[in-house]
Amino acid sequence: MKTLLRALRVSAALLASAAALSTTAWAAEPLRVGASFITSGLDPAKGSNGWALTSHGIGENLFSVDRDGVLGPNLAESAERVDEFTWLVKLKPNRRFADGTEVSAATVGAGLAHTMANNKAALATGGTLRFQAVDPLTLQVTTEKPVALIQALFAEWPLVTYHLQGDGTASFSGPYAVKSFRPDAEIELEPNPHFAGAEKRGPVTYRKFADGQALTLAFEAGQLDLAFGLPSEGIARLKANEDLTVKEFAVGYQYLAYLNTRSPMLADARVRRAVDLAIDRDQLVLAIHGGTPATGAYAPYFPFAGKQARSTDVGKAAGLLDEAGWVVSADGKRSKDGATLRLAVLAYPQRPDLVAMLPVVKAQLAALGIEVETRIVENANEVAGSGDFDVFLWAQHTAPSGDPAFFLNSTFRTGAGLNFSGYADDAFDAILDGFAEETDPAKRAAIAAAAEAKLIEDAPVSFLVSPVWHVGVSKALSGYEPWGSDYHVLRADIGEAR
Amino acid sequence: MTLPVRITLRTIASLLAISLLAFAIISAMPSDPVAIAIRAWNLPVDGEIVAGLRAQWGLDRPFLERYAAWILRFFSGDWGLSFRTGEPVLDEFLRRLPLTLTIAFSGLTLALVAAVPLGFLAALKPRGLVDGVTRMLAVLVQAVPSIWLGLVFLWVLGVQLRWIRPFSRDWSGLILPIALIALHSLAVLTRVYRRDLIDISSQPFFRTALAKGLGRPAALWRHGHAHALYALLSAFRAEASWAVGSTAAIEVLFGLPGIGQFLVESIAARDYPVLQAYVMVVAGWLLLLNAGIAASLAWLGGRRA
Repeated sequence: MKTLLRALRVSAALLASAAALSTTAWAAEPLRVGASFITSGLDPAKGSNGWALTSHGIGENLFSVDRDGVLGPNLAESAERVDEFTWLVKLKPNRRFADGTEVSAATVGAGLAHTMANNKAALATGGTLRFQAVDPLTLQVTTEKPVALIQALFAEWPLVTYHLQGDGTASFSGPYAVKSFRPDAEIELEPNPHFAGAEKRGPVTYRKFADGQALTLAFEAGQLDLAFGLPSEGIARLKANEDLTVKEFAVGYQYLAYLNTRSPMLADARVRRAVDLAIDRDQLVLAIHGGTPATGAYAPYFPFAGKQARSTDVGKAAGLLDEAGWVVSADGKRSKDGATLRLAVLAYPQRPDLVAMLPVVKAQLAALGIEVETRIVENANEVAGSGDFDVFLWAQHTAPSGDPAFFLNSTFRTGAGLNFSGYADDAFDAILDGFAEETDPAKRAAIAAAAEAKLIEDAPVSFLVSPVWHVGVSKALSGYEPWGSDYHVLRADIGEAR
Repeated sequence: MTLPVRITLRTIASLLAISLLAFAIISAMPSDPVAIAIRAWNLPVDGEIVAGLRAQWGLDRPFLERYAAWILRFFSGDWGLSFRTGEPVLDEFLRRLPLTLTIAFSGLTLALVAAVPLGFLAALKPRGLVDGVTRMLAVLVQAVPSIWLGLVFLWVLGVQLRWIRPFSRDWSGLILPIALIALHSLAVLTRVYRRDLIDISSQPFFRTALAKGLGRPAALWRHGHAHALYALLSAFRAEASWAVGSTAAIEVLFGLPGIGQFLVESIAARDYPVLQAYVMVVAGWLLLLNAGIAASLAWLGGRRA
């Protein structure tokens, strides 16, 4: 009997040890996240790294947009306007960067000044900003151009906050800190020990999947806890599998088409308007298995979004082309002075929905007698910047700061850094100038509506679809709710969602 | 001049010629590296910044001077900084190269080792089971792109059967990539080896060997193997070149951080320092392989003589 009891005690002790070990193993097991994108590097001032680092839960902005699309304080507590060009930004106390440095006016100002000097996307709204620490938690900001809502400016993706260290590297304040980084492949994250609730958070392995099918298969094979941005064509199959959970959510991105105003074929606004009118957005929604026809520049859930879906009118489009001199020849193609109306329509594979939309757009334009050459290019920014296209299908978050001004200023103002359409119109720029003074949200919405109306009239862009995206979650992460498009994939609460 | 010296000189001369050609082609590409960097990094378009970058990268100097400076820097270990990541290119290659070499070498070695017995069995009994299977395999891998085959394997072995964990970061994540390289090369090498053995079996000396009482397997091995090995090594050279390109596609599919994946992303961004380094690394890999095979063939020839 004694022997039996001893054996039972030993077994119980072994089982308890095994349970303790397995609990430790679970706690140390990294959360496995897969997505189609990863930051290009850890320098927050370069390219779009600021956006990616925030999306990965590493960086934070002074102000940010919450899950309801509302702009609010983040690292900052408040902002107060002193005069036309000067603001005082009050920082929250007791916040630290991952390297232990206190989040102070001096460190924040130095980091933001570095971004201003090295990333022109940061200049879109207020021009070059200058920073001066008034006291440890008060930062004086002087703008080059008047800015009516500095909170929205500091929520823009280039303006991620960081401590620029002596060796030129950056330390951030978000819930996660970088443990290791392999460009184009993987980033290993660990909880930032100075971020509240660090003890509740485990490590994360974030991997890039260049191929959407591979991302889907990795999720199906049970190798991911979170698969962000699953391609739409596989969603029905995934939903049929009861072991998998796929969540759908509306995003702030819009699928749109830049119409190159510098292209000889599209120099005439009537031709651009005809292209806009010829596209049947319902067909595009069917092609990408979700979303709604775009009402304008903004996703429908924003208070400043348009209410009416953009209309299709092939008859009117044909009339506009006739009026512009592009008449149908005997072969069914439109031509003028012996030249055929031929458009190069481009898309890029990093957003597979755009590639799925490409043949639909081609068919719809071809039905109007336009000859279309489609191309898929890897280096979208490079090609768009070079102007070597007629129509470029594009995915763009149009209100990343919860305010309509940034997108319009950075994309359609004359000479703006992301003005791929080459659009230049003084009247349009004058409408945008209204953003600099107006603080009332309703009136800012009215300015956005006026700007949108002008864009629809001049058609340097055609707004196509307000998409929905899909996220796959494992049982361990079934509490995860996606929001904020791809700006907040990893958030402070992700560990708590397990 | 001895053979090793000859091979070494030829390898160095070829590498220099390739480097000059690659540098000329990449320099002649229509995109301006400074314009690309400015766009990629969202730098302000400022005359001072543009001039500074041009001077830093030596773009304001004549072609030959630029080439000489680049090749000297390259051989002294300064491969420049990646436009996209801002990190030293050499460090990135050193981190990634072991993975790519593991996949490529393991796949090729497996194929080479398995091709001899399979090819031998196929030649021993033409139209038999092994011959039929290897023929079907050869047709399949020639007709189907490896990336498509990889997706099918992923779905069947990883998702449906769950026999492997294809995206794990341990050794099991390398099984499918290596198998894909091995499968393609195995099919090709087996058929080449078999064809040469069968050619030999129609030669008069082979019939004489049989008449002397040697069995067909022994005669094939004694009189055919060394001859077929020649063809096998030559085919291996071609397969090694194929493996370079295929490894890149496979790395992208499986999300493996090798140099092929780095290249694909760098092409999209016109990351010149990476493109130039990649050409040199691949050229080095192929030239070394060629040198190794040339030496092996010479050694085999010596033994036969």
